[in-house]
Amino acid sequence: MSSLEGPREKGRVFGLDVREDVDREIRTHLEMRARELEEAGWEPAAAREEARRLFGSVEEVSRTCRDITRSQMRAERRSGMLEALWQDAKYGFRTLLKAPEFALVATLTLGLGIGANTAIFSVVDGVLLEPLPYQDPGALVWLQERNTRGGGMSVAWANFQDWHRENESFQGLTAFYSSSTTILGGEEPVTRTVAFMTEDFWSVFRVPPAQGRLTLAADHGNDRPPVAVVSHRFWQNVLGGGPLDAVLLEVAGDRHPVVGVAPPGFDFPSGTDVWIPLSEESQSASRSSHNFNVVGRLADGVELERAHAEMETLTLQLVEGSDDDPDFLATGVVTATLQDRLVGGSRRALYLLLGAAGLVLLVACTNLASTLLARGATRTRELAVRASLGAPRGRIIRQLLTENVILAGAGALVGVGFAAAVVRVLKRLGPASVPRLDQVSVDASVLAFAGAIALLTVLAFGLLPARRLSRTDFTAALREGDRGNATGGRSLTWRLLVGGEVALALLLLAGSGLVVRSFQQLLQEDAGFHAADVTTLTVSLSQLRYETPADHAAWYREYIQAAEALPGVERAGFISAFPVQGFVPNGRLELDNDPDKHAVGLYLLASGGAFEALDIPLLQGRTFDDRDGPDGLHVAVVSRSFAETYWPGEDPIGKTVSGGGMDNFWNQDVYSTVIGVVDEVRFQSLEREPEPTVYFHYLQRPFRARWSGRMVVEAASGDPAALTPALRSTLQRLDPDVPPRIEPLPGLVQDSVAPQRFTVLLLGGFALLSLFLAAAGIYSVVSYQVAQRTREMGIRLALGGEPSAVRGLVMKEAMAVVGVGLAAGLAGVILGGSVIRALLYGVEPSDPVSLGGAALLLAGAALAASWVPALRSTRVDPVITMRAE
Amino acid sequence: MSSQTPMELLKGTLDVLILKTLSQGPLHGYGVSRWLRETTREAFQVEEGALYPALRRLEKRGFLTSRWEESETGRQAKFYRLTTAGEAELARSVQSWHDYVEVMGRVLGGART
Repeated sequence: MSSLEGPREKGRVFGLDVREDVDREIRTHLEMRARELEEAGWEPAAAREEARRLFGSVEEVSRTCRDITRSQMRAERRSGMLEALWQDAKYGFRTLLKAPEFALVATLTLGLGIGANTAIFSVVDGVLLEPLPYQDPGALVWLQERNTRGGGMSVAWANFQDWHRENESFQGLTAFYSSSTTILGGEEPVTRTVAFMTEDFWSVFRVPPAQGRLTLAADHGNDRPPVAVVSHRFWQNVLGGGPLDAVLLEVAGDRHPVVGVAPPGFDFPSGTDVWIPLSEESQSASRSSHNFNVVGRLADGVELERAHAEMETLTLQLVEGSDDDPDFLATGVVTATLQDRLVGGSRRALYLLLGAAGLVLLVACTNLASTLLARGATRTRELAVRASLGAPRGRIIRQLLTENVILAGAGALVGVGFAAAVVRVLKRLGPASVPRLDQVSVDASVLAFAGAIALLTVLAFGLLPARRLSRTDFTAALREGDRGNATGGRSLTWRLLVGGEVALALLLLAGSGLVVRSFQQLLQEDAGFHAADVTTLTVSLSQLRYETPADHAAWYREYIQAAEALPGVERAGFISAFPVQGFVPNGRLELDNDPDKHAVGLYLLASGGAFEALDIPLLQGRTFDDRDGPDGLHVAVVSRSFAETYWPGEDPIGKTVSGGGMDNFWNQDVYSTVIGVVDEVRFQSLEREPEPTVYFHYLQRPFRARWSGRMVVEAASGDPAALTPALRSTLQRLDPDVPPRIEPLPGLVQDSVAPQRFTVLLLGGFALLSLFLAAAGIYSVVSYQVAQRTREMGIRLALGGEPSAVRGLVMKEAMAVVGVGLAAGLAGVILGGSVIRALLYGVEPSDPVSLGGAALLLAGAALAASWVPALRSTRVDPVITMRAE
Repeated sequence: MSSQTPMELLKGTLDVLILKTLSQGPLHGYGVSRWLRETTREAFQVEEGALYPALRRLEKRGFLTSRWEESETGRQAKFYRLTTAGEAELARSVQSWHDYVEVMGRVLGGART
């Protein structure tokens, strides 16, 4: 539809440049006009003069004409390019559709690689890297005292006060602790986390109130009227989001008017719904009673290292000369940025997953490279034909480029969808212990990064055929045709790619095999109790209506009796901590009626029913029973390791033990007599070795029962969930103000290993993905090799070769490469095993089951992937095969 | 200068005149210019050079095509010819010109009486 006809090149019209075209046209006009004038009788010179005059400004007309024609040519070039692009795209789609197997493998490979990476990196970014949502979050520091073993421990009140008064590194320093407590005064009684904190709290976090005000300096200190600040969600969900004037919350023995609401999303300490100024007068003056968490905001210009050094010196000065037990005094401080402290626990697993996702991307790119190479090789002939028919090389390259960009685009689309799906699944399955997981969203920059890597791979390997085309001359490529044998450099590249892919996939498979195996080990671990038929109750009684610890303990006794009277209940008992949940006080105990004779162990309160409900085996003596009451002889049960550690070779029955600093003042001088020894129970977590444990009688030392009202109930039927309604109504009957929290123990145990399960699921998913990718890669390469050697196969068959021998030839070559890849992968696993060791439990990184299993699985997949094309190689009629040339 | 003052050519009318001229067959620029002069009896005052940008503009809009050919005198000249789109444009322009003249004539003619 060009309006200028004829051969046309850039900037030229009919081989003339635009200026010549215009000038010649004008010159022609002037000459013709002059001739006309001459014919009318003008002198030649005057005629030329007159023709010019009549024409007007030659220069101006010429310029205008040139401009018009040039802009026309530009517009035509543009639309010509668009048209060519459209042609290329159409042709690209058609060629891809003609090779659907290749297009599918390439697109899926790309999409899965991009998607897995984007999803995991989005999680890592959202959880680990994204700054905390506080003003200048880098200045927030978590402080602990350092214990004698070099670890961190909570801060003693006396030390905090001195830190607060004397430090110069922090502009604000706040101490707090939180506990789960029943709160009355809302629409119904609820159990929520309450944080008790000192006055700097809000200025350290620097958040504005959403309603009313936050607590001020005047609210803190002794004898101040009680006030409370509530979380935005608590205000909305429990207080109904209305005015605050009339709200009085009954928390921890006081009625607190609500003065304000924290901003939405403010969640520190995690899960807190009510913040209440700490009562300072009742705090222990001891420097060895570690009860507080401390967060500070660094002063302007102060680095964490300098602050650490100052606090270290300060702390050492403080504890010098203290009369307290040196085992429980600080040996310095432990500091970390708040962000590290909050997300540090998830870091290792997340980076491991990121590494795994990176491996998946590598496998995907390797796979893609070999697939593209194979395809490129089959297209050499087609391209050579086109080139010999006169298609310029640039045009052929552009064609290949378009095709590959289409592939990359389709892959990226699949990747986005896959990433979004994976992130959604992660958010649902992710354990609550992974902080901020709920805020994660697919990260566009990561997507762009993964997409760019994939695009580069596609371009680098997809354009190879074009490069080869320029090296060899077309006639050679044509003559060679399908016979292009797969020897030399090209074949080496493939071997490297396939071998590398197999090695990488083995790394992933073996790694996830190790993690799966250690998870199995963990679940099979004998934690020392029987959870299947047990349900748990967590109760928090009003501190106002039940004044003394004994009142609390008495209520529990009443409840246990009522529960045991219910049909379907086998046994019920009190226990101050559920197994494998953590949160067990661990500290100094005193032995043998001697305050200087120390032991370190877990401090638990229990009733006799708890041992039976949990089926904790009794090894010696007896557990608590009706003989032991609040007023009787104080008794205790110890764990086997406690007896063996502190009374080695002696009979523990009749020995005495007290809770030392973990009891209240009244009880700490009273020694309990050991009446029994039970087997080990893992209280801290499934993976932590059991620790020496002392069980005191809950009615005799009820001090801690006030804060941790927990009961276990064993179902006769074996189905603990069936008891829930009856247990709940019994609770309602005994005290309608106690919010029921009833959870079967198996669920709690499962939840305690949720982070491990999360890692196992993800790693397993990645491993399967890489297995699939590796198989697809092997399949496409072997298919190609077979197609290349059709003629050779035909000759072998025609000469009487057994089909099985011919198949064997194909398989042997493929499996040789796979074997080398497997060996390389195994070497990699063994060398890199230390990376994963910290995540393993009861399994060595060189575990033969995991490694062997992974290798077998991969070898099997490789066999299957090369078997199909090998089969195809002998299915053709030799005559047809040879004639196909 | 002729004794009688020629009229200013109304804006856009040159295009119609060119299309009309070429509707009778391919012609080079000089031919168009000469034909216009003769058929209008030099009624319009227009520099002859102004024709060429107009031709190229019409070509750019797809109403004309051009080609260097041998002219009747045996020399090379750039010949323009009407495209199908150009024919349609000419028909459209003629129609709207008639409409214009009719309206103007009605209004102005009515004003005189």
